[in-house]
Amino acid sequence: MNAYGLMAVFDTPADAMHAAEQVRDAGYSKWDVHTPFPVHGMDAAMGIPNSKVGWFTFLGGATGYTSGMIMIWWMNAYDYKIIIGGKPMFSPFFSFPVSYELTILLASFGSLIGMFLLNRLPRLHHPLLKNRKFCSGATHDKFILVIETADPKFNADETRKLLASAGSKHIELVED
Amino acid sequence: MVALFAAALLGNSVVAAEHAKPAAKAGQSVDAHAGHNHGKLGPAGEPTELKKFGYAYLTAYMFCLSLCLGALFIVILNHLFDAQWMVPIRRFLEHIACQLFPTMFILWLPIGFLAKYIYPWWEIDPHLDHALHAKAILFNPTAFWVVSCVLFLVWGFIAHGLRRASLAQDKDGAASHTRTMRRYAAGGIFLFAFSLTGAAIYWMKSLQHQFFSTMYGVVYFAGSVWLTAITTYWLLLYFKNRGDLKDVAREVTFHDCGKLFFAFTVFYAYIHFSQYFLIWNAAVPEETFWYVLREEGSWKWVGQLTIFGHFWFPFLFLLPIHRKLNFQVMSMMAGWAWLCHYMDLQFNIGPVLYPDGLHLGIYDLLSLGGMLAVLIFMFSRAFNAHPPYPQRDPRVAETFGVYVEPASSKAAH
Repeated sequence: MNAYGLMAVFDTPADAMHAAEQVRDAGYSKWDVHTPFPVHGMDAAMGIPNSKVGWFTFLGGATGYTSGMIMIWWMNAYDYKIIIGGKPMFSPFFSFPVSYELTILLASFGSLIGMFLLNRLPRLHHPLLKNRKFCSGATHDKFILVIETADPKFNADETRKLLASAGSKHIELVED
Repeated sequence: MVALFAAALLGNSVVAAEHAKPAAKAGQSVDAHAGHNHGKLGPAGEPTELKKFGYAYLTAYMFCLSLCLGALFIVILNHLFDAQWMVPIRRFLEHIACQLFPTMFILWLPIGFLAKYIYPWWEIDPHLDHALHAKAILFNPTAFWVVSCVLFLVWGFIAHGLRRASLAQDKDGAASHTRTMRRYAAGGIFLFAFSLTGAAIYWMKSLQHQFFSTMYGVVYFAGSVWLTAITTYWLLLYFKNRGDLKDVAREVTFHDCGKLFFAFTVFYAYIHFSQYFLIWNAAVPEETFWYVLREEGSWKWVGQLTIFGHFWFPFLFLLPIHRKLNFQVMSMMAGWAWLCHYMDLQFNIGPVLYPDGLHLGIYDLLSLGGMLAVLIFMFSRAFNAHPPYPQRDPRVAETFGVYVEPASSKAAH
């Protein structure tokens, strides 16, 4: 049997958070906490740095803004000049609304794509989804911490001990 | 390119300003309206000292008014949204808002008495100036005084009503005070919107009475709250370090203040751009002359400061979350915002007197310094006389970061 990871079930968000702090301090890197609702302060307890999605958003926005400006300049002032109301062929003022809309559009695309890439989505299946205890707990009233066997620090006995000392009442090995 | 286009429109605006000429011939206040018509000083040359002082004082006054009105707005906002994070900052903002009456009213009186030197329309005969004739119902000395006094009464009513209930709640903790404050806030937001617009139009926009802009009040509002948001951040930091607010000023409070400042950075840019954009596109001489004048001489650079210093720099700089939580960075940003907002007001007021470019002198320094000194004195006196934050607000426990189970859910167990 190939093991995916070690799963520890907690009854309260506080227990899960304290366990996360211990796992973080023990130096694990490939692990996650699954909760039925967002738990405030969990990012800090898990030691997760700021999301990188913002950079994708920024890049998307910058691309949208510049491409909007260049598009309008190319169409109105270079490729096919049209005089409208005696205004200049190109000006950042009348080009702004369209460029601005493109900024928002591409920034949101950037966020979406960035989120997918960073989460390695789309993904058709996950080993945890086979586990009954996980599915009924993480979506209802349990707070579940999972450490993957792929973690360089993973050791079946040591990791189990760590999770037990963190106060988990149910620890099990999840099949891959 | 834009400047050229704008210069072409100036031709039209000079024609539009012809209405003002007969008044000049009659020998009335020649230099009063020479500035906005031709971009040069009138035959009288150098403006009188009284006039220079009047403009410097008006600029300083509008700056201080920004802080007071911004504070009043954030207090109103607190009650309208039943916001928990604003509880720590509410008390000192209530005190700043209460400076609107009577302190700011007394400080306004010099503007009222110097009005005929400050506002060119004061001495123009409406029958000889079409733009003024059309707006004569508002722009006459009686209406100016009546409306100005009403504005202060309205602000005094809202600000003192809110603070009175807030201080009363400190003593008895009754929930009825919260409801009273909500009523003041709900009605007050409408009064606030109209009165702020009135102040911006009467005291600042009317310097060039021919000008039209429906956005003008909102631009002043956005700049005011922008300035107040960063000042709030700084005051919160100051009172936290002094010890008054050390229990309630948590990291999340600073983060939220930073976010409010950031939001208004964008909002101000959006509103001011919209004003410029509409005027630029419509190209109506009665509107364009206002910006044409402000592209002359060093005013062009003041305008660039508004674009790059008021918007782009804070916007890009504060995008990452960690900078909003860096006290040193944000304190410097507070100083920067004060500079940018002051220059923004100079941009609105100064060109009427000095069409050739920005003039900063001893009057500007003394007016702003003196006025701030009075306000800081009055504010400290009020702040030190009362508890530093609402002691028994229904949401004060949340402010401390403590969850208190509602009584109703306890009964259910």
